[in-house]
Amino acid sequence: METLQGILSAHPFFNDLPTPHIETITGCVSNVRFKAGDVIFREGEEANHFYLIREGKVALRIHSERRGPLTILTLGAGDILGWSWLFPPYRWKFSARAIEDTRAFAADGKCLREKAERDHDLGYELLMRFAHVVEERLEATRLQLLNVYQDQ
Amino acid sequence: METATLEKILEEHALFRGMKEQYLRTLVESSTVVRFEPGDVIFEEGEPAHHSYLIRTGKVALQLVSYRVEPFTLMTLEEGDIVGWSWLFPPYRWKFTAKALSVVRAFSLDGRSVCARCDEDHDLGYELMKRFAQIIENRVEALSVHLVAIEK
Repeated sequence: METLQGILSAHPFFNDLPTPHIETITGCVSNVRFKAGDVIFREGEEANHFYLIREGKVALRIHSERRGPLTILTLGAGDILGWSWLFPPYRWKFSARAIEDTRAFAADGKCLREKAERDHDLGYELLMRFAHVVEERLEATRLQLLNVYQDQ
Repeated sequence: METATLEKILEEHALFRGMKEQYLRTLVESSTVVRFEPGDVIFEEGEPAHHSYLIRTGKVALQLVSYRVEPFTLMTLEEGDIVGWSWLFPPYRWKFTAKALSVVRAFSLDGRSVCARCDEDHDLGYELMKRFAQIIENRVEALSVHLVAIEK
């Protein structure tokens, strides 16, 4: 049977991460399931987890005063969901809702954050990786915005 | 400018408050003092990214220019804000254009040199990345808010 640690270390996101760090993360991970329609986290709430989606689909949404929640991105199998647990102010900037039945690994970010605060080697590795996820999200949003402008 | 003075100014900068003296000194070694006139382009979308700018005085417009007749200003940055982080991730090219709206006095931080220091010293890397990750997150948020505002 494939071990949790094996699955995590094979994921591109954890590529080249030293084994002790993988072990630390593995110790903070559990299996979770969401039903279609479930809210995984809400904008503004304290951010304490991140998710590695194994199956299903999740919509990332922001709240618009005028139009309510609007989807900005849909994530699926293999995607990393949630980065706000890692740096101040540790609050979600977006909401996440399962739009299909979803299986994921949930990592206790609060526990990892405390470990990162004590072990900056781990902290640096995590920050570089999650900052890169944020940067990829930025690039995707930027291109989306440019496409909208191009069509106008 | 005297190194000690530069260090003092950095220390008082919102982004670096609470940072250890030895790290401030490291940053000072990677910094130079720069000045821009109103209308100056500080950097241009798509060009190779090498620096971050810590604004001491003045206003800077962060703009999206591609595909548009008129540049779109995503946000205006001012004293205490940081402009530029694209040297952190491949392809190391600016995601936005930064334009001085007034006389701007800033510190220019050499990204490559900072990156090298962070790779050597993960304590510094951890402290810095925690701060830069927030900046990138702030930009994603602004882009997303704008995107949903114009799309629907």
